[in-house]
Amino acid sequence: MTALNVIPKGEDEPETMDAVVIETRSVAKIVPTAEGELAILEGIDLEINAGESVAIVGASGSGKTTLLGILAGLDVPTAGTVSLCGAELTALDEEERAKVRGEQIGFVFQTFQLLGSLTALENVMLPAELRGEAEAEQDARDLLAKVGLAQRLDHYPRQLSGGEQQRVAIARAFASRPNVLFADEPTGNLDTRTGATIIDLLFELNAEFDTTLVLVTHDDRLAARCGRVIEIDGGRIVG
Amino acid sequence: MGFILRLAWRDWRGGELGLLVIALMVAVGTVTAVSLFVDRLHQALLKESATFLAADRYIGSSAEIPESFRQAARDLGLETADTLSFPSMVFTADDRNSLVSVKAVGPGYPLRGVLRVTDVPFTPPVVTTELPEPGEVWLDGRLFPSLGVALGDRVEVGYATLEITRVLTSEPDRGGSMYDLGPRLLMRIEDVPATRVVQPGSRLSYRLLLKGEEGALETLKADLGIEEDPNFWWRGIRESSPTIGSALTRAESFLLLGGLLGVLLAGVAVALSAHRYARRHYDHVGVLKTLGATPNQILASYVGLLAVVGGVAVSFGLLVGSGLHLAIVAMLQSIIPVALPPPSVRPFLLGAVTGLICAIAFALPPLLHLKNISPMRVIRRDVGAAPPSQIASYGAAVAGSLGLLIWYSGSIELTAWTLLGTLGALALFGALATVLLRGGRVVGMQAGSGLRLALAGLQRRRKENTAQILIFGLAIMLLLILLLLRTALLDEWRNQVPENAPNHFAMNISPEDVDEIGVLLEANSREQGGLFPMIRGRITAVNGIPAKEWEATHRSEMEDGPRLSSGRNLTWAEDMPDDNALVAGDWWDAADTRAMVSLEDDYAEDLGLSIGDQLTFDIGGETLDVEVVNLRRLNWESMRPNFFIIFSPGALESFPATWMTSFYLERDNKQFLNELLSRFPTITVIEVDAIIAQVQSIIARVTQAVELVLGLVLASGVLVLIASIHASRDARLSEHALIRTLGGTRRLIAGSLTAEFAALGLFAGIVAVVGAEITVLILQTQVFELGASVHPWLWITGPLIGALLILVVGLLGTRQLIAAPPISVLRGLN
Repeated sequence: MTALNVIPKGEDEPETMDAVVIETRSVAKIVPTAEGELAILEGIDLEINAGESVAIVGASGSGKTTLLGILAGLDVPTAGTVSLCGAELTALDEEERAKVRGEQIGFVFQTFQLLGSLTALENVMLPAELRGEAEAEQDARDLLAKVGLAQRLDHYPRQLSGGEQQRVAIARAFASRPNVLFADEPTGNLDTRTGATIIDLLFELNAEFDTTLVLVTHDDRLAARCGRVIEIDGGRIVG
Repeated sequence: MGFILRLAWRDWRGGELGLLVIALMVAVGTVTAVSLFVDRLHQALLKESATFLAADRYIGSSAEIPESFRQAARDLGLETADTLSFPSMVFTADDRNSLVSVKAVGPGYPLRGVLRVTDVPFTPPVVTTELPEPGEVWLDGRLFPSLGVALGDRVEVGYATLEITRVLTSEPDRGGSMYDLGPRLLMRIEDVPATRVVQPGSRLSYRLLLKGEEGALETLKADLGIEEDPNFWWRGIRESSPTIGSALTRAESFLLLGGLLGVLLAGVAVALSAHRYARRHYDHVGVLKTLGATPNQILASYVGLLAVVGGVAVSFGLLVGSGLHLAIVAMLQSIIPVALPPPSVRPFLLGAVTGLICAIAFALPPLLHLKNISPMRVIRRDVGAAPPSQIASYGAAVAGSLGLLIWYSGSIELTAWTLLGTLGALALFGALATVLLRGGRVVGMQAGSGLRLALAGLQRRRKENTAQILIFGLAIMLLLILLLLRTALLDEWRNQVPENAPNHFAMNISPEDVDEIGVLLEANSREQGGLFPMIRGRITAVNGIPAKEWEATHRSEMEDGPRLSSGRNLTWAEDMPDDNALVAGDWWDAADTRAMVSLEDDYAEDLGLSIGDQLTFDIGGETLDVEVVNLRRLNWESMRPNFFIIFSPGALESFPATWMTSFYLERDNKQFLNELLSRFPTITVIEVDAIIAQVQSIIARVTQAVELVLGLVLASGVLVLIASIHASRDARLSEHALIRTLGGTRRLIAGSLTAEFAALGLFAGIVAVVGAEITVLILQTQVFELGASVHPWLWITGPLIGALLILVVGLLGTRQLIAAPPISVLRGLN
């Protein structure tokens, strides 16, 4: 990891609000199909600064989820470059990208993606455990208390409601104290009221942990809470 | 390491690992239990079989065994004892005489087994550890009436006069050969010089009996170079008693086959549960990767997990296997009269290594694949995992199976045939399953809603269902193969000595006594083998070519087959003996006076003889030319008089003959022998009931072992079914939850599941029957050397059993599916 010029986090984090944490240059994603090549993304150039909250919006199939995956280092573009917190993702292999993910980002998913065989507490402890940190439990308990689930520590995901599951997912996302939090339709599976609560919680924690937030959503209320909205259509940024 | 243990513990707690652990445990447990039991039973059987030799091995010769042999044996820590057998006349004080088969034995005899003696002929014997003292003899019971002697009388053997001190009922190595016919006289080898019967040209059979460690015996055999020396022969149970030897060999082959099929089935169960576990962890891994887990971390975690799971499963498997084997031993204690020796380390090693190989070959490939799961999967479900490398998956499984099979059976031939059968069946199954599924769909169009749903489901998941039919079919096929082979083998063994088979032979009956003895036997015994004249003669020429010359060019490679020119017992008969079967030519017409001869099929084949050949016989110095007119097959185990060569009635009638027969006598009717031998002192009676009893007791034990293995394999088979149904459970869960939410009733789901499992089972059953018939045909004819047979009943019962078995296991495995409210099912899937 020493070769990676990543922004250190925690107390030494620079306070400059306009430091660029995500930068893409001419990113394209082209996949082969039976009918020939299909461009899912084309010519994506964007910069996201530290502390910003950005909503990526667009119709179904516009390419926004693919873009999110590429920005988070879950996927690689077929052309162009992506850097995340100073790390050139497109120059790294999967092993190194995983390390960047583990250290720099948090993720909240539409389908919550909690591990069914783990309790709420264990799900939140997971990122720290993956980094080999022993003292993960107290932090996880505190985070679950913050999201209002102090009484549900030993419940399994199947014993929790959708809203509760998403709170666990949010607690887990912040457990690694990420520089950037990616969220994919975080309210997509929730009713309006629960969705609103989750949005509040997300922004509350985002402010508290001073995280950059990048989310994909169809939810106008959610998009409206973000500082910037990027609209995608046909694989291109249109606004 | 901590993370791996936590991962393992959490997965176990969540029920994700249960089936994998159980499948591995069953693999290890089955192998351990089977091999522990087989190992101990095998050792016990070998030990008990050794009593047929009165030793573990012996060195035989017609000349005296050199002292150097004895010394070499003793140097290796082996126990030795000498015996010398020869035919001789004995005379009584009042000049009555009889031809006896003398066995002179030295101290230590018998090294294995026991002598049974009594004080009154034909009364129940007692076991003794003593031997006749020098100067004493023990006589066979039948000699007492024929010689008119009692205990304390003296008999002359050659120049020696010896005192009769016991009635000898049996000695362990009596049933060696049918040509060792005379009644037994047991004496001390130290008395032999005094008899002066050992002369050049005497028919002597020296044996040096040996007992001790297997390794030492083998070393001695090699050190003495016996195999290269034509003057000595080395014998174990397999060489000296082919019936028991072949029963043992087949039993071992069968047990091993059963054991390895059990392992294969358990391996399939391991593979299925590992694949399901891996599939259920695709999302899991996706999430871990977004949380920063690197591919190498994932790899290390899951390999570590498998090591932990494997270690636990192997440990428990060994425990379970040992416990199971103890339970089996306890259960069979009353019917296994032999004391089982302590087990060797091999079964435990076998169990542990099997577990390891199963884990590596069957469970590891799908887990290895987990590291390749894309993290994109967490936001894009359609980003499926690249399918695991088929070559790696199947290659590892096939290599693992092969390794296990060869190591476990120690027989490449058996392995090759089993594997060939399995692969052939798989190819056939695939084609057949596709046809059946298509056919099912067509039928389903006309069916009620439950059935239509089921058959549509079958057709829709065609790929998965074809695979499932293959797996079910394979499991059922393996069970059927085992069942068929077991039936075939047991029947074969049982038939070797039919119940009420004649247990006595009477020989040396003079022609004038034939009618009277026939009447007497009719009145006193239940089953007679018919009376046959017996004339000694030998073939001197075939089609005018001298016998030795003919033999040099026509005799088959088989070294130990009968020789053409050696003396043979000939007989003649008007009708073909009851249990003979004609394989070529026609039986003669009684009115036909030509000199004709009927040959035993194998005998003719070995010597290159066929119908139409002219044989020249030398009978008592006279020459007789006859034509071969037919070939017969014999049942050697029928315990009836059997002849290689039978003449037509006219041809031999003018030659002097003695007659022989066989008959069945109840144990409590043995006194009849006294009456028979008193009235006809010249006839020779041979009691074979002791040999039959020994053979039957071994067969009974082997049968139990075989049935036990069948039970264990059955358990593995059911496990595969459970694993297979579990593997498809997730797909079914979501489908049925969806149907329920769309208004499908529980009854509809239950009906559809019933129809689906029954159809799957039926198809698998059909496929299994086809595979089993083919494999069994090949195994029976190529490996076990049994006759080929088709099993019409199987074609009905196979599919029915398949349908029923899969229906029961399937419904039990999915009952939660039917009972659970759809919302909980849908949530559980999330």
